[in-house]
Amino acid sequence: MTVLLEMKERIKLIYSKSEVFIVPVVKFLLAFIVFNTLNGRMGYMTRINDMKIVLIAALACSFLPVGLMTLMAAVFSLMHMYALSMEVALVGLCMYLIMYLLFFRFSPKDSLVVVLTPLLFALKIPYVVPIAVGLLCGASSLVSVGCGIAVFYLLQTVIDSAPNIRTMGEEEILEKVRMMVESIIGNKAMLVMIAAFAITVLVVYLIRRMSVDYSWTIAMVAGAMINVVLLLIGDLLYDVNISVGSVLMGSLLAIVVAKVVEFFRFCVDYSRTEKVQFEDDEYYYYVKAVPKMTVAVPTKTVKKINAQRDMAAEPRSGGARPSGRSVDVERTAPDRGGSRSASRPRDGARKGQRSMTVGKAQKPENADADLGEYEEWP
Amino acid sequence: MLSEERIILMTRMASYEQGEGKKNVKIGNYFRSDYIALQTLKAVVCAILVFAILFGLYVLCNFEELMENLYKMDLLAFAKDVLMYFAAMVGGYAVLVYVVCTWRYASAKKSLKCYYHNLKKLNSLYQDGQ
Repeated sequence: MTVLLEMKERIKLIYSKSEVFIVPVVKFLLAFIVFNTLNGRMGYMTRINDMKIVLIAALACSFLPVGLMTLMAAVFSLMHMYALSMEVALVGLCMYLIMYLLFFRFSPKDSLVVVLTPLLFALKIPYVVPIAVGLLCGASSLVSVGCGIAVFYLLQTVIDSAPNIRTMGEEEILEKVRMMVESIIGNKAMLVMIAAFAITVLVVYLIRRMSVDYSWTIAMVAGAMINVVLLLIGDLLYDVNISVGSVLMGSLLAIVVAKVVEFFRFCVDYSRTEKVQFEDDEYYYYVKAVPKMTVAVPTKTVKKINAQRDMAAEPRSGGARPSGRSVDVERTAPDRGGSRSASRPRDGARKGQRSMTVGKAQKPENADADLGEYEEWP
Repeated sequence: MLSEERIILMTRMASYEQGEGKKNVKIGNYFRSDYIALQTLKAVVCAILVFAILFGLYVLCNFEELMENLYKMDLLAFAKDVLMYFAAMVGGYAVLVYVVCTWRYASAKKSLKCYYHNLKKLNSLYQDGQ
């Protein structure tokens, strides 16, 4: 565990140092994957089904807000729909407008969820979405998950209907619109997925907010189970042809991903939970404090660079150093005691700290400069 | 002289101002009734637009049938049905937005109360330091 915690601290350190570069690179990669997947699955418009266009669009997304990536992905998909048929693009535009006007106002910051949900559906790992969203976002994010599912099924309907639409003549405008609308409204699988995922997000969110030990683990397991049960009930009621094996495997994968998320986001040590009670003029307080698991990352600090010394005034035995400068370096080893010893007082004389200088090692500045565990702002 | 307590408090407040606080301060600038009325008005406009889109799609899907029966059908009853759906949709959505905005305003005010309390505490820490 200590090794993992050390690794986590290292990753955090690297991220905090290079955030300026890492965030645009991640956004670029995400946009590239999204646009490439869209082109690969739809690809009706040959002009934008081009690697150069995808690269330019992804590059633009790397420094633009995530909301604009959603907009660009929507424009990409509409252009493909337009190349297939103008009526399909009209229905697609109407659906996007309905989603934007009615639902996006409840969670405007969750554009990433709207992009990621269809992408994960396309990659056949959709069951990660409700559990991860329930753990990381608020209850209102279920609206974004619902929108993401609707977008995926809209695109899937377009892809499935493409051969039929191509065979239709240009004068059959109304038939095309009717076919698209009926395919979308009558898509029971979409409704079952939206209902199951929305309930799962809500359940995971409510359980992980509870003041019980291992609430995150309980939330993710309960969420996965409820998701499986709801999908199976939906399958029985509406015969939506959901594969039980893929649901079970996907849910197991979702739990694994959720454990990784938990490790990075909510790594606490329940064995050191403290319960305190105090009062002021107006209230009694019953406080439960759960410490986070942290370890100090080994660091090297250059403490002092000595000036050139007078060789004659300072005779050395056994041959003098060729350089006139000496560098004093202190290396702080990680706290091997893991979380339990994280709260112990540290000083230079403690084991695990080595110093190449003569004299007492100093306490590393960054090891304990923790500004407290941020209590969540009410 | 640096005060650790003051620095911790200021860091927390700055973090709040950068994140969730930005949205809450914006909400807190309104009176409750103004905020809720504005949001509900926006919701009504959005709901009207969405209804227009849905009605347009309905007309497109059933265009031939509507054209055939235009002179035979009871237009008044049809208009009444459309108006009923319109009122249900716009009214229902406005009520939903009203409830959400009331809750959002209350939670933003609660959060801001804590923030202002911390501001006062910071002020008193400065005065004690002088």
